[in-house]
Amino acid sequence: MRVTSRRAFLRGAGAGALALPWLESLAAADRGPAARPPRRLAFYYVPIGVVRRGFFPGERDAGLPAFNGDLSAIVETRTEVGSHPIQLARTLEPLEAVREKVTLITGLDRTFQNGTDVHAQCASCFLSSAVPFGVPTSAWPLDRTLDHVVADEVGDATPFRTLELSCNSHRDNLESIYFDNISWYGTGHLAPSIRDPRKAYRRLFGIQEVREYRNITDIVLEDARSLRRELGTGDRHKFAEFFDSVRAIEERMDKLERMKAELSRVSISEPAEAYLPRGDYIRLMGDLMVAALQTGLTRVATFMVGPERWNTPFMFEGLFDKPVSHHLMSHEQAEFGDQLLQIDRFHMEQFVYIARKMDAIEEAGGTTLLDNTVFTYGSGLGDGATHQYTDLPIVVAGSGGGRLISGRHLHCPDGTPLANLWLTQARVMGVGLERFADSTGLVTQVLA
Amino acid sequence: MGNPLPNCTRVGFLAVAAVCVAPAAEAASGDVVAELLGPVFRQRCVQCHGEAGSPAGEVDLAALRSSADLLGKPNLIRDLVSVLDAGVMPPPGAPALQGEQRDALVAELRRLLHAAAASRKNLPRTPMRRMNRFQYGNAVQDLLELSVDVFALPERMLRDYDYFRPETGKMPDSLKAGSRPLGKSQLIDKRLAGVAPFPQDLRAEHGYDNRGDHLTMSPLLLEAFLKLGRSIVDSVDFSQVTSGAWERLFVPDSAGQGTESRIRAALRRFLSRAFRRPASEDLLDRYVAHAMARIESGEPYADAMKGVISAALASPRFLYLYESAGPDGSAGRIDDFELASRLSFFLWGSIPDEELLDLAGQGRLLDPAVLRGQVERMMRDARVKRFCDSFPSQWLQLERIVSSVPDPDRFPAFYFAKFRSSMHMMLEPLLLFETVLVEDRPILDLVDPGFSYRSDLLESWYRDGTRPQKVPPVAIPFRRVPVTDRRQGGVITNAAVMTMTSGPARTNPITRGAWIAGVIFNDPPDPPPADVPLLPQEDGAGSEEDATLRERFALHRTEAACASCHAQIDPLGFALENYGPTGVWRDAYDSGQAVDPAGVLFGSYEFRDIVEFKDAVLAEKERFARAFAGHLLEFALARDLEAADEPALDRIVDRSAGGGYRIREMMVQVALSEPFLSKYSPVLSEKGSL
Repeated sequence: MRVTSRRAFLRGAGAGALALPWLESLAAADRGPAARPPRRLAFYYVPIGVVRRGFFPGERDAGLPAFNGDLSAIVETRTEVGSHPIQLARTLEPLEAVREKVTLITGLDRTFQNGTDVHAQCASCFLSSAVPFGVPTSAWPLDRTLDHVVADEVGDATPFRTLELSCNSHRDNLESIYFDNISWYGTGHLAPSIRDPRKAYRRLFGIQEVREYRNITDIVLEDARSLRRELGTGDRHKFAEFFDSVRAIEERMDKLERMKAELSRVSISEPAEAYLPRGDYIRLMGDLMVAALQTGLTRVATFMVGPERWNTPFMFEGLFDKPVSHHLMSHEQAEFGDQLLQIDRFHMEQFVYIARKMDAIEEAGGTTLLDNTVFTYGSGLGDGATHQYTDLPIVVAGSGGGRLISGRHLHCPDGTPLANLWLTQARVMGVGLERFADSTGLVTQVLA
Repeated sequence: MGNPLPNCTRVGFLAVAAVCVAPAAEAASGDVVAELLGPVFRQRCVQCHGEAGSPAGEVDLAALRSSADLLGKPNLIRDLVSVLDAGVMPPPGAPALQGEQRDALVAELRRLLHAAAASRKNLPRTPMRRMNRFQYGNAVQDLLELSVDVFALPERMLRDYDYFRPETGKMPDSLKAGSRPLGKSQLIDKRLAGVAPFPQDLRAEHGYDNRGDHLTMSPLLLEAFLKLGRSIVDSVDFSQVTSGAWERLFVPDSAGQGTESRIRAALRRFLSRAFRRPASEDLLDRYVAHAMARIESGEPYADAMKGVISAALASPRFLYLYESAGPDGSAGRIDDFELASRLSFFLWGSIPDEELLDLAGQGRLLDPAVLRGQVERMMRDARVKRFCDSFPSQWLQLERIVSSVPDPDRFPAFYFAKFRSSMHMMLEPLLLFETVLVEDRPILDLVDPGFSYRSDLLESWYRDGTRPQKVPPVAIPFRRVPVTDRRQGGVITNAAVMTMTSGPARTNPITRGAWIAGVIFNDPPDPPPADVPLLPQEDGAGSEEDATLRERFALHRTEAACASCHAQIDPLGFALENYGPTGVWRDAYDSGQAVDPAGVLFGSYEFRDIVEFKDAVLAEKERFARAFAGHLLEFALARDLEAADEPALDRIVDRSAGGGYRIREMMVQVALSEPFLSKYSPVLSEKGSL
């Protein structure tokens, strides 16, 4: 692949909107027949990395990663750079069911910005990966995340610009927001996720007291305007979140009003208030995400299957008799390798469940929802034991309306930023960015 | 490839910039860096903290030639004070500094730190922040004068049964208390039916849940606020019975006052209280017009007013805590109304009452005598329960007991019916804290009180790790008992803290040591670098029989990078090894091997057991007072403390020393401190990053 140098990009940025030829054709397609289904973008984040041997082709017999801080523990794939037939290692086996519709991508890296926790940063910066120290005086290389950047372009038509879901059901306040969120409006400005299926259902499909809210948002907005004048520059920046929120709610109320009839046809019922085994819980949240993407409630969704670090045990029903702490086990692959592989596979099974659910929904032109979606499985750590930010595990399902190839394994050259994939996905979604975060170019090999 | 991994040394992240041009040395006394500190640094420190490239070379002490080089780096001075004072540096293996020399260095560095802070025109800024849900619930309760809670919150851990009487200055000898997060249904509290709280805000690392950077707004949350405000006024329990403000807000005038003027009068009072400063005429006009429009469209008076009230509850003027800004770059005093809010959110977790607002309106609140009087009044007011419901549980990190699950096979007595013994345990340190506050006792009583509140279960637990047959699951009777065995009692050596800092099957000395370092000494270690392994079986899967813990922990000392933190925290944790994974005393491990809790504190106090450890803490009471004051100040300011706050911290400690560090005087001193009374509007780039 051709990696454009940072310098070249800076020149390009100076020249204003630089549209590559293929982008123009994409933009034209976007204005094509009304029947063409819209493209959707979704992310499935797996915390605490994976066990490499179970995931990466050709590493089955590799030694166990050790710990010693001198970086010798970091594992590098020996796969040749380029496109290969897809091989399904143990953790990937569930993908067999959608083999022709997924791409395994290896070799993508993120750059660690020293100064914050490795687990906190790998989640909170997964979808932003700003240039290290590029966000002035913030300890985090964290900027507006890809889901929101894309929603800036494609979210205007839907009631929800984006949807954030999480399956963190812990109730102890153990970790900070950085361990628990992958979606951010910007530095320090969190896009919180919904964790309760009932709350998610009610927010998406519930009856809204639209008129009452409309009635009071005016007065609230007027208070906000007058308050803004009393604030210093720093607080004014932070307070923008309030205006954005009011605006988003008002727009959503209008759009939901127009969609009422359509939504009444959705065949999903309100979840009961009951404890759900972990798999049922994740799949139910997945069903809700799929329903929201299907109906056009939103086109962009993020799904965090669990929080980073957070030592509190989860009960994985069907896997183990007792609650286990994924994070604590992840440091000890020698001792807990089998359990960790079971958890990795379990997370992959839920991903495949959601992908198949999408693939079962028919859309115009003989396509399915999955065909029209770019649905990415990924983790911010290349391995749960080494905590490396390199060679991250990534699987992309769906072809974004035929714009992505599938059924292959692509291995990228050393040092290819994860943001290159994000830039590529943004382009597929019709967003004319020249650069995203610390990207250096496109991952052209995945383009159809 | 080639990501740098995090570095665990506390001072390691401080990159020291190039050498400044040395100005003229302080003429009269000579330059302290050139004459005193520099030679010591060169002799003892620069082997590691010298040229870049050496192991811990990110701190460069070789480049320091004069005071001027240090004055511009208050954070470096603070860290130097911290590591020298605690005896962390020079690291184990290197010869320690002699007591007198160390004291002289620390004293000079402290002096430099004060000078550095004094030369700064501003203190760090507290950003604008949204109320958390605890504050929101309290504020609505006070504003609508509700006799019931707005919603039940598990973070208010302790449910009290009418024993809390701060105005009496005395806690009763026996009382009943319950556990919200672990007890029977939370839904037994009287509250507004149909009102659900918004999600709990996560705490900052080593911080409190009132921090601006964690309290943001989003469409999801704002929508929750819109719904929440509406559900409060619509609740069937919201009525003249539960709300003292009902008559004033929702009953139309019958004496010919006129609808509009009645609404205006009611809203002037309501909005001034809700927004914590006098409502401007503009603002009042808007709200009155809104109410009148509703009435003109046919809504009944009470319904129209409910609509207005729910709007006010979603207004940013209600939801956000903020200080009005001067020009960018300006620093100065907060105004009287801002002080009223800082006080009320510090001590009551809520909005100011009318007395505070009246004093602010008269411009008298900033008067130190008036301010002191108000803080003392507020600490005798029942609303100080909110402080007891938020500060101590977060300071002690007690929420960790909620998810503590000792191995049921090894500790069957821990579990009964659907409950856990931890529901009793968690109440003990909270009741101790309330007693220290209500009775205005010295904060050293938090460490070694000589009394405690115990339930039957706890008495039995501390005796031999058993529990009585019958255990009340809801309202638990507690008795105040003398604690003559100094191995017990206090916020450290109680079953709750010992259990929550253990794994399911065994104790975890590092977790305990880190807890003591952060909570008791307010010097939290950085999180462990992610690239180090757990010690074998640290997750609690195995037994303690394989080798002594100390042998295994010796691994920490083999690497200098590990040793710099672990030399500090491991001995703290080992001091507590006599307390098993559920807080029950043991002289030996299950294997029969004797527990060895001995160690050295602050580089100079050798202790053989936990009692001597407590003696060392008490002997160095100023350290604990300073640490505690730091926690209080951080909570009061709702921000992280920085080096610039150190002089204020020193003053709080100095001025409360005379009375033996009584807690109320410490809290008064926090409220009188420079950072509490200051605000600052920084100059920012348009990007807006702070």
